[in-house]
Amino acid sequence: MSDRKTRLTITVDAHLSSYAEQLVEAGHAGSVSAAFNEAMAEKAARDRHRRSLWKAMSDQADPGRVARMMAHVDRQLAS
Amino acid sequence: MLSAVARGDADIIGLIQAYDARSQPLVIPALAIAGASLDARNDESDDLLAGVELLEATAGAPLSGAEQATRLAGIIARTGLDTWDAHAAAIADAAICPILTLDASKWRQPSADLDEPLHIIEIADPGDQDPDT
Repeated sequence: MSDRKTRLTITVDAHLSSYAEQLVEAGHAGSVSAAFNEAMAEKAARDRHRRSLWKAMSDQADPGRVARMMAHVDRQLAS
Repeated sequence: MLSAVARGDADIIGLIQAYDARSQPLVIPALAIAGASLDARNDESDDLLAGVELLEATAGAPLSGAEQATRLAGIIARTGLDTWDAHAAAIADAAICPILTLDASKWRQPSADLDEPLHIIEIADPGDQDPDT
C-alpha cells in the first residue's frame, strides 16, 4: 500500500458497499475507502501473478515450434 | 486451444503471446474457459486461463441475455457440440471469425450442420507430422 492517495468517485453494488461498511464497523478496515483499496490491491496482485505465470510459461516455449505453428495458422488464414 | 493453456502447454501459450505481440485480436468465449477449467481443475490452470484475458489484444466474450442463451441452445441442438464448444461456435458464427483449435476434425461435422460453415483453423506443427525433416 502506498501513502499517496488519489481521490476518486466510484459507484459500486449496494451489497458491496454494505459489506465495506460492515468491515469498518467490525474494525477489519480503517474506512470504506481502505476496504475498497485493499480489494483492488488484491486484484492487482492476482493479475501480476497471472502475468508472471504467463511469462514464465511462454519463456519455456520452443521458439522454432511456435514459429512453425504460426506459419501454419497464417497459411490457413490467408487461404 | 484453451485446454492446452489450462494444461500449461508452453508452446501454445507462446503462440498466443506471439499473436498478442502482433496485436492480433483474440476473442475468448467465457464458456470455453469454463470447459477448459473443468478439464484441468487446479488453481494454476485457472490462473493461466484468467491470464488470457489480461493480454492486450484479447477480449472475453460472456454469454449475455436470453437471446444469446437461446441461440446457444439452438447451436447445441443442431450440432451436438458440448456447451463449451458451442459457445465458441456461436461467437464465431455471429462475429464471422475463425475458430482456432488443436483438433480440426472434431469441428468438421458440426460446421456442416450449420447454415454457414465455420472457418476452422488448426494449430499444428507441420514438423510433428514428418519426423524425418
